[in-house]
Amino acid sequence: MSWADALRTALVVSAALAGPAAAQDGGWRRVGRDLALTFPADHGAHPAHRTEWWYVTGQVEDAAGRPFGFQFTIFRRGLGDAPPAADDAPRRPRHVFAGHLAVADVRAGRTVHAERLRRSGSPLASAARDDLDLVLEDWTFARGPDDVLAISARDPARGIGLELELRPQKPLALHGDGGYSAKGGEEGNASAYASWTRLATTGRLWSEGRAHDVRGAAWFDHEFGSSVLGDDAVGWDWFGLQLDDGRELMLFELRDADGRPTKAAGSLVQRDGTVRALARDDFTVEATGRWRSPHTGADYPAGWVLTLPEEGLRLEVTPRLADAELVTGSTDTAYWEGPVELSGTVRGRGYAELTGYAGAMTRRF
Amino acid sequence: MILRALWLRPTVSRPLRFLATVAGVAIGVAAVVSTLLASRAAVASLGADVEVVAGQAALEVRRPGGVDPAVLGDLRELAGEALIAPVVEDVAHVPALGDLARVLGVDVLVDDGVRAVELDFGERDPQEALDAWLLGRGVALSRGLAAELGAAPGDALEVLVRARPVALDVVAVFAPERFASAWDRVLLVDLSTAQELFARGPRLDRLELRPRTAWDPDAFAARVAERLPDGYRVAPASARRAEGERLVRALEFNLTALSGVSLLVGVVLVATTLATSIVQRRRAIALLRSLGASRAQLARAVLVEAAAIGTLGGLAGVAAGWGGARAALAGVRTTVATVAPEALAGDVRLEPRWLLLGLACGLLASLAAALLPLREALRVPPVQGLRQQLAAGPARREHARRALLLAALAAGAVLFARLPPLEDRPIWALLSSLLVLSTLLVLSAPLIDLVARLHPVHGALGGRIATSVRVAQAAVSAGRRRAAWAAAAVGVAVGLAVAMATMVGSFRTTVVEWTEQAMRSDLFVRPLPTSTGVAAGGIDGEVVAIAGELFGPEALDPFRATTAYVDDRPVALAGAAFGTVSGRGGVPFLDGRPSHEVFAEAARTGGAVVNEPFARRFGVGPGDSFELETAAGRVRRDVVGVYRDYSGHTGRVVLDREDYLGLFPDDGILSLAVYLPDAADVAAARAQLAAALAGRFAVEVLSNREIRGEVLAVFERTFAVTVALQLLAAAVAGLAVITVLGALVRERRGELAVLRTLGGSAGQVLGVVLGQALLLGAAGALGGLLVGLVMGYVLVVVVNLQSFGWTLQFVPPWGSLAATVGLVVPACLLAGLVPAMAALRQTPLEELRELG
Repeated sequence: MSWADALRTALVVSAALAGPAAAQDGGWRRVGRDLALTFPADHGAHPAHRTEWWYVTGQVEDAAGRPFGFQFTIFRRGLGDAPPAADDAPRRPRHVFAGHLAVADVRAGRTVHAERLRRSGSPLASAARDDLDLVLEDWTFARGPDDVLAISARDPARGIGLELELRPQKPLALHGDGGYSAKGGEEGNASAYASWTRLATTGRLWSEGRAHDVRGAAWFDHEFGSSVLGDDAVGWDWFGLQLDDGRELMLFELRDADGRPTKAAGSLVQRDGTVRALARDDFTVEATGRWRSPHTGADYPAGWVLTLPEEGLRLEVTPRLADAELVTGSTDTAYWEGPVELSGTVRGRGYAELTGYAGAMTRRF
Repeated sequence: MILRALWLRPTVSRPLRFLATVAGVAIGVAAVVSTLLASRAAVASLGADVEVVAGQAALEVRRPGGVDPAVLGDLRELAGEALIAPVVEDVAHVPALGDLARVLGVDVLVDDGVRAVELDFGERDPQEALDAWLLGRGVALSRGLAAELGAAPGDALEVLVRARPVALDVVAVFAPERFASAWDRVLLVDLSTAQELFARGPRLDRLELRPRTAWDPDAFAARVAERLPDGYRVAPASARRAEGERLVRALEFNLTALSGVSLLVGVVLVATTLATSIVQRRRAIALLRSLGASRAQLARAVLVEAAAIGTLGGLAGVAAGWGGARAALAGVRTTVATVAPEALAGDVRLEPRWLLLGLACGLLASLAAALLPLREALRVPPVQGLRQQLAAGPARREHARRALLLAALAAGAVLFARLPPLEDRPIWALLSSLLVLSTLLVLSAPLIDLVARLHPVHGALGGRIATSVRVAQAAVSAGRRRAAWAAAAVGVAVGLAVAMATMVGSFRTTVVEWTEQAMRSDLFVRPLPTSTGVAAGGIDGEVVAIAGELFGPEALDPFRATTAYVDDRPVALAGAAFGTVSGRGGVPFLDGRPSHEVFAEAARTGGAVVNEPFARRFGVGPGDSFELETAAGRVRRDVVGVYRDYSGHTGRVVLDREDYLGLFPDDGILSLAVYLPDAADVAAARAQLAAALAGRFAVEVLSNREIRGEVLAVFERTFAVTVALQLLAAAVAGLAVITVLGALVRERRGELAVLRTLGGSAGQVLGVVLGQALLLGAAGALGGLLVGLVMGYVLVVVVNLQSFGWTLQFVPPWGSLAATVGLVVPACLLAGLVPAMAALRQTPLEELRELG
């Protein structure tokens, strides 16, 4: 692999899964139960923690009703065994930022994506510490007045792009215990996790080089931590679903190399914005179909039935297009990230993310 | 049939002469090819490195003194259309290699978009290796370099950066896709590592822009330019290469022109051989004409012989040139370092085009040389050729024609010498010196007449010897046309040797005086030279502090240099301690003003001193001012003095240290001169400084005598070719005498037979033939000396000035010239022995019977 492929693989995999690096995160600050998030400061970057990402997914339609899905993510990953100390060499890159932009053309059944990668310490990549204000080359992501988020990200070479305004329809949701989202058995195996689960979305989307004026709904996640996962996790399935009854559902399930779930949790955000934290026993996830990627040969689940018995919910989750695999940097770093449709007790829409199916990528490092 | 009669038979019967001629062409071709190959190898890296370094970048953003990283922000909006890759680049000395290597500092996260290479981490854990690369002193090496160093991932590699030893950590090796040999002198490190090693602070050397989409480079460059602050320039990556190549190619042309001179010697040799063989075969030619052979058939035969000589000589010359280039590489490398110190040497590579070039040189030289002899052959009439040529004095008309031709050549030479250079190449001036040389062809016959009429031998020599010489004079006069050929050949060989010796001698005298005047420091500190003799890469500024503690800052002249722009053209800008130099240095100024006065004025007024090449290039002199583009923007400086500079031919501006440091960041020094008090113990001071620097810095502390010796040694190496040329001249002169004299002896064998029959002794016959050899040699040497001096004058006063911008004194090295003549005349005498012995072997009666 070329050197940047190696780095991207290390970066993306670790950012998404933080698997093997977990044991070596001694110098990086872990998220503890004493976590107390304050905003807007905690919308900003947390460079004392190793891994962080800001994540937006959404489904929109243009004036002619043509449906699109989109994903926009900026990852930050700290380099080395510990965060930079005050007396460290000032020119050293201590953080790496990676950006992923994907536009899914539902009708064409096609997902196109683009990437950006840059070290910290230059005007080409920065993240404010006191608010959401990210720059990654020509891509920007910032919070404005009234928590309105602005995304500007285009990739002329791939013909895709987003110029979107995202207006929260609900208060910020803190997952787990006040944002402390346990991911493993130990206290430190956790992330700080906050979301705007429903954002009214307007603006412009580019697909195949053509601009579409679009509107729809999006979901924002911000997550950070160090040694987030236990050593045994190799991938996860994640769902961010907006139900037509005004509630939102976030579920994730971590699994080990044998495909056994190691940890699962979630949040149900009520109409008034209050969050009910969901534990392993509160829900079930059952895959109902499979899709084999023609790009990587990875065998992904495609279609699920989710049940939350206490809430009386039975949701059939169906991908709106089969091929939403993102092959980033090299064929070893691939994941499926695509728009889904809900039927069952309630209808709705959302996004699913499936990682760790395209080979045991983390074992490379 | 004609071919066989005219060419094959004589070639088979006299293979040595044919081979000698081929050797003559081969030597000329070898000189040209080896100079070209060596200089190409010396700068092979220059072109290829730019390619490697530029990778797939299409545009580069630069600024004198480096690029402020804030500019990345200015270009941020364009990042979707072009990948922006920052680069820091410098050189380090790799002791294990005995050579310099380019330290290429890139953003390893993004750079594979520009310079795609596949990494092999070996046994190392990739994550750990990448951390070492990004956060430690990691370096990636090409497979070729790793093999040469015996290094693998995990090993340490010691390098000298700014003369300070640094251990790098080999993190990976890679197999470059293109320009493998250029990568073999590259240390690939992270941007921040390079910034730390070379104490650059946040500055970058350049930004490279690689298109992400199909683009129009000009339109994109314009959009980049409008976002850049003042002082920045955006240009195609190829522009930097073009500038580097322009300098090196000019130097290469000058070196090649010198080596081309030896090809001229080859031309003369071929012409002589062909002419001689035609003269010798007059009878055969006349017979063939009588039997109905056409002129075209004759011409074909002559040209085939020339082509055969050219082809064989060309092939042999390429082979010899390839070997010669390998031997000469180190010398040429040092010469090239004077114009492009950052160029790294590559291998001498024999490509098919060099083979073609060598063949073309050999063939063209041979065919050109065949023209005059061809004319001679075609002029042989069917019947007259069967008769002996009768002694005939020159007609009055011929005198007039020669005088006219001579005047035309002289006028042409003067005219061409006055024309300006073409693209830094002294083409017209070289043509002028060729015209001077060609006067020998016109002058040789009158010279023969002159030596044939001299009668100084009467009283001085005994009667028998005098008789021999008189007979020899008569014989030479009788075979005037052939004798003229030999004299011209000897003359051209001598002339070339004399011209070269004059040029080099003048040059050397000038440089010796210059080093004595200009190099007055007692101690000179420079980076440890590589095994190829290049001391580059600079010295850490701490060396200045250490020397300052020992000798006081006022004793020091730390030398800094960088690239600035004048009229959009790059020039070397240097910073020196004017205060120190005005007190002690003796830099010679063109207008003869004392050094201390000029530097004191420059220090007082904040003016600049510039070297002669700069003054000539930009047409400025004392009192003029010029605008300089610096890291601090555009500034205007007055020229206070123009100094002689024979250290290179790039334009150089020298400012006072303080002024310089106000315009450019302090990136360390290139060298340090120390001026000690008059009574100081230089040896003790040197030992003291060396001890203070030992172990921490890899530098050389040289005494005044040593550094001057070094300068001269480089000089001698560069011009070693002229010594070979002197020997070559003697060899060519000898060959010419052998061939021509052989012909004359054959032609005059009747007379020699008569001489023997009338009681002439073997000694007298020997005397007659050797006398002819002496006369030919003397005539040639005399003409060659005269013409060579004129040609040398043109080379010194016109060609050098145009090539390098140097004013040289015209100082013919009389001793060396006497040696050349002293070598050539005996060589001719020695050569005369071959035909003399042949003459002695003749049986007089048989000869007379045969001649009827």
